[in-house]
Amino acid sequence: MLNAQDNQHVTQTGPGTPMGELMRRYWIPALLSWELAEPDGTPVRVKLLGEELIAFKDTDGRIGLIDNYCPHRRASLFFGRNEECGLRCVYHGWKFDVDGNCVDMPSEPAESNFKDKVKVLAYPCMDMGGVVWTYMGPLEHQPPPPLFEWTQVVETHRAVNKVLQESNWLQGLEGGVDSVHASYLHNNDIANTTRYESRSAAPSIEVEPTDYGYAYGSVRHLSKEEGNFVRAYQFIMPFTQLRPDDRRESSASPKVAGHMWVPIDDEHHFVWNFVYSLGDEPLTEADKAKHSDLAYEVIDINNGFRCIWNADNDYGIDREVQRTQTFTGILADARVGANLQDRGIQESMGTIVDRTREHLATTDRAIIATRRMLQEAANIVGDGGTPRGTGPSYYKVRSIQRVLPVDVPWQEGMKGLLFEGAEYSPIMQ
Amino acid sequence: MLTAEENVLVTKIGPGTPMGETMRRYWLPALLSRELPNPDCDPVRLRILSEDLVGFRDTNGDIGILEENCPHRLASLFLGRNEESGLRCVYHGWKFDVNGNCVDQMNEPIDFKDKVKAKAYPTYEAGDIIWVYMGPKDKIPPIPNFEYTRVPDTHRGVTKVWQESNWLQALEGGIDSSHAPILHRQIREDAKSAGIQMSTPFVRGGAPKLEVDVTDYGYRYTGIRPLGDNEQYVRGYHFAMPFTQLRPSQIGRAGAPDRTHVDGHHWVPIDDDNVMVWNWTYSFGPVPLTEKERTQEGTANGWPNVDPNNQYRAKGNVRNNWLIDRDVQRTDTFTGIDGINAQDRGVQESMGTVVDRTREHLGPADVAIIATRKLLIEATRDVAEGGTPRGADTTSYYNVRAIEKIFDGKLAWRDVLLPEMYPEDQPVGG
Repeated sequence: MLNAQDNQHVTQTGPGTPMGELMRRYWIPALLSWELAEPDGTPVRVKLLGEELIAFKDTDGRIGLIDNYCPHRRASLFFGRNEECGLRCVYHGWKFDVDGNCVDMPSEPAESNFKDKVKVLAYPCMDMGGVVWTYMGPLEHQPPPPLFEWTQVVETHRAVNKVLQESNWLQGLEGGVDSVHASYLHNNDIANTTRYESRSAAPSIEVEPTDYGYAYGSVRHLSKEEGNFVRAYQFIMPFTQLRPDDRRESSASPKVAGHMWVPIDDEHHFVWNFVYSLGDEPLTEADKAKHSDLAYEVIDINNGFRCIWNADNDYGIDREVQRTQTFTGILADARVGANLQDRGIQESMGTIVDRTREHLATTDRAIIATRRMLQEAANIVGDGGTPRGTGPSYYKVRSIQRVLPVDVPWQEGMKGLLFEGAEYSPIMQ
Repeated sequence: MLTAEENVLVTKIGPGTPMGETMRRYWLPALLSRELPNPDCDPVRLRILSEDLVGFRDTNGDIGILEENCPHRLASLFLGRNEESGLRCVYHGWKFDVNGNCVDQMNEPIDFKDKVKAKAYPTYEAGDIIWVYMGPKDKIPPIPNFEYTRVPDTHRGVTKVWQESNWLQALEGGIDSSHAPILHRQIREDAKSAGIQMSTPFVRGGAPKLEVDVTDYGYRYTGIRPLGDNEQYVRGYHFAMPFTQLRPSQIGRAGAPDRTHVDGHHWVPIDDDNVMVWNWTYSFGPVPLTEKERTQEGTANGWPNVDPNNQYRAKGNVRNNWLIDRDVQRTDTFTGIDGINAQDRGVQESMGTVVDRTREHLGPADVAIIATRKLLIEATRDVAEGGTPRGADTTSYYNVRAIEKIFDGKLAWRDVLLPEMYPEDQPVGG
């Protein structure tokens, strides 16, 4: 439970808000790389942290992300002409390059130097891992590039896509650091009692803070002989989750999946979905599935990446299926995975959850830790400091699941597995 | 006319508002019984008095109405599983019975279900309706027991329709006899479009004189219309606090008293900007209703015109100008809108979501409206002072009936009508 003031503090991300200023200290996914496929292609509207922006790829292939509104008379640059290394407003012809410089002002007398005095807001961009990233904070605080392991593997080993969610970003993230609900919300075979999640449906949740966020284990006790089934997750500030995506624990190429919950404004966010292979083997089409273009069969890229099953049609809930086959009756297939069930339940909580009315329990520990960490970081930024997770310490972290003997704590048993390479644990002592 | 403050007082019904607290002292129609047709059926969403709720019928057939959001993390229980005597949230599996008790908390290693409760309201089923009481437990009134809930199913029809306006302007349209033969009249003898025929005493009669008698359930009132030189046509209505109207429907199209019907509405606030209009009709005599009467086809608030799959919205609504046909308006009916209840809904929604009562001009034909507002304001004061509002703790409305008659213009209407407006021998029915 939070008081009303704290709930605002952690959910609002517009310019000047504490959480908004915190978010602006990290690299943020802005678009999929393919949305700006060609030099001089069509400009694209982008809304991030409540700011309306326009993205374009110029003649030289450089990416610009600038204010939607032309500084002259505030016409939208979305209607602009993307030509000869700049985006030209169609109202009076003013033209801007990717750095926001005004490079032409044909409406003014030739002798005028007014264009040297005009700039449009422009944010640095970086194209990496199939994603165009941007940095919207103070230039002197720009962090090193977002070299998540999944952005560094070869393209055949990775898939990424995104979908609109019509709720505040934090309840998206909170669903993603809540391992427990998988036993219920995502039980898609209610007759099958052999799933680990069904056999042990009340896990113990153990959170270990790190300098990038935290690692946490959900520990499901199976039996004394079989041991504990442990899923170890990573939370990387301010909105990234990594989770194990594989039951083939002995596979040479296990997979890690994850999400980023990126605020569009306080009432909407994009859920980014990615998966990658840790080993030599590339991903198969079946591995990529819901993280790939396949999902666009049901996510309408021409309607703001909104899923065709949404609040307007109760997420396509089928009560007969709910009675006889799955816990929710909401579809889970190769295209949507469990994501449609998550989105449905999270949007049903109200656009911004009223956290003054909730009742958190022991299994909500990771959620409580997330809120504390976010508030702590926002306060650090407010005091002029550097928040957790802006260094390179998250570059090599991974997520793993294992069945461990009951007397081996996962923090020990997974040492060396939660970080690429060395016998190292990211967990701070 | 009301001041701006009074207008807020009588129209706003959310939790904690004076009128909201007053409404919460009565039984409220919440759902049609057929919305929860059998045990373990699909849960349904509902919104009443600005509260989002979910209704379900459990394995034993008992009905629960709970707050929509699960107390754990506030996911909607609408998505829940209705199984084994409880509604289970699909997010983490917490399960609640019809009384709001948490009976299972499957995700918690050490459960604390005894410490968690979902808000639950008492329910009562009668007359094809599931009623709910949302007020303080110690103030729960006697069961809702209108005559129409007691007649056999064959003698009753109940429908409901969503109206996109504040509740009070809908109620005010319902206790306003004077508009009826104007708004609803046909303007041609053989008009095809629905309306009140020119040959009826309603249209033939002169402008009505209204008389209001305050009672302990609300008031009765009559519209008295002179008819020719020697007769009068008197319609006797009831208003039962806080939002119920009963109107007579015994005089048929030819003007003869040939039926034993009474009609009525409940105007139940969804929130400050929307109201669910409940429409019911019944026969207190031996003759059952026809199928067309039961479905209220032709009123525009009946099943052919209302979409149960779209939150009970009507086909004709504000977005299509209530399907007004200007040719029909020129030649057949006063409004050009098809269906008497659609005419009411159209004109009431057209007044603005919440009528600005500081700008209206009331006259003698509006005395019932003025009386309604006075009783409502009085009731909010009674509640605020810890008392019982009029009509809440009473069974006196149980035997009321709305009656209309044509009789000698020299007789006093109370002598003629009152015995039948409070009959002792009821209900009859088949």
